[in-house]
Amino acid sequence: MNLRVTLCSCNGSGERRISAGIFFLLQAIALLSAFVTGAVRAAETKHEINPKNGIETWEVRDQGVFLSLTQMTPDQAEAFFLARGFHQKSAKKYASACVFETIFRNESAPAAVSSNLADWRIITPQGERHLKLEADWDRQWKADGVSEPARIAFRWSQFPTKQRFEPGDWNQGMTTFGLPRNSQFNLIFKWTVKGVSHESMLSGVRCAPDNDSR
Amino acid sequence: MKACFPASDARLTMILGRLLLGCLVGLALFANEAVASEPQTLTRVAGMPLAKDFSLKDMNGKSYRLSDFRGKVVLVNFWATWCPPCREELPSLERLWKMLNHKKFEILAVNLGQGPDAIFGFTGALNPALTFPILLDRSTAVFKSWSGMAIPTTFVVNQEGRIVYRAVGGRRYDDPHIVKQIKTLATTGK
Repeated sequence: MNLRVTLCSCNGSGERRISAGIFFLLQAIALLSAFVTGAVRAAETKHEINPKNGIETWEVRDQGVFLSLTQMTPDQAEAFFLARGFHQKSAKKYASACVFETIFRNESAPAAVSSNLADWRIITPQGERHLKLEADWDRQWKADGVSEPARIAFRWSQFPTKQRFEPGDWNQGMTTFGLPRNSQFNLIFKWTVKGVSHESMLSGVRCAPDNDSR
Repeated sequence: MKACFPASDARLTMILGRLLLGCLVGLALFANEAVASEPQTLTRVAGMPLAKDFSLKDMNGKSYRLSDFRGKVVLVNFWATWCPPCREELPSLERLWKMLNHKKFEILAVNLGQGPDAIFGFTGALNPALTFPILLDRSTAVFKSWSGMAIPTTFVVNQEGRIVYRAVGGRRYDDPHIVKQIKTLATTGK
């Protein structure tokens, strides 16, 4: 009230100074609001495209955990497993299953985080489905006659189906979604902390396109 | 006499506004920095279970048995050349190795599933070279017996052969916090 009175009775130069001061205060308040709402919006999916190779990444931070999915092109996935001793047929089979390099991290959850990929859900316009898990693939590799050293490399290159992350722990590994190339989906991912279930979502994720379409 | 908002007050308001703005920008930058530089910690393992003994050969065929290192703190790192965070953290293990007293501390880097040629293809290009032993767990039986779920995973074993710390996922092992954790363990046993 006091300020309004003085403003009204002030000369031009003083008014400009006061206006500038108030302008900066308003800017500061606006920035504070943006910062606060930004923290709330942190659960939104962040999407990035690598300008060098067009590879896309989706990531989200929510309730103290971090998840990111980065596309692996069919070429990349096939080359990786050919170099680990897979024969081409099996490597191609895996590479065409919509592969992502996946990172999960317990950044600031109040205690250890437990995850089980079997609980995660892929949401597409056609409905819900599960991820294809390491044990599913291993059965396939045994049937295909994939060598044991190659299967060992496969096992440890995959994001573990079940894992416990103490604060600061993280892991990076491959996950497969079993969708056609270029398919778009949302991923509902779940975890527990001290037995309490939590979930969040990565939105608008897209499987890598054909190798020659980038 | 004007009942005006004094010029000095206006200036003060401006300065305060700018200070607040600066603080908020700094806070935002600090928040981003805090996210960018992840905390480097080893997690204490409840109950300190006895580490399962193993005997593995290095790339030259020399055998190493974990229990031969009783009386020392032993950092056991499980890794593979094709694992990006493993590749990233190994040079920091070498820096840690150079920092600490080898009479009290040992590093054993256990490779999963690979042969000497594949390993040397990676380690041969590292500068500085790795000078701690690299052991071969070709069947991954040792890692499984230690309940390993993912690589890299690192365990720190105390002088009595008990697992005191564990870290899942890559770390910077020459980070002051981790160095302090290991030095304290090596000097006090706790």
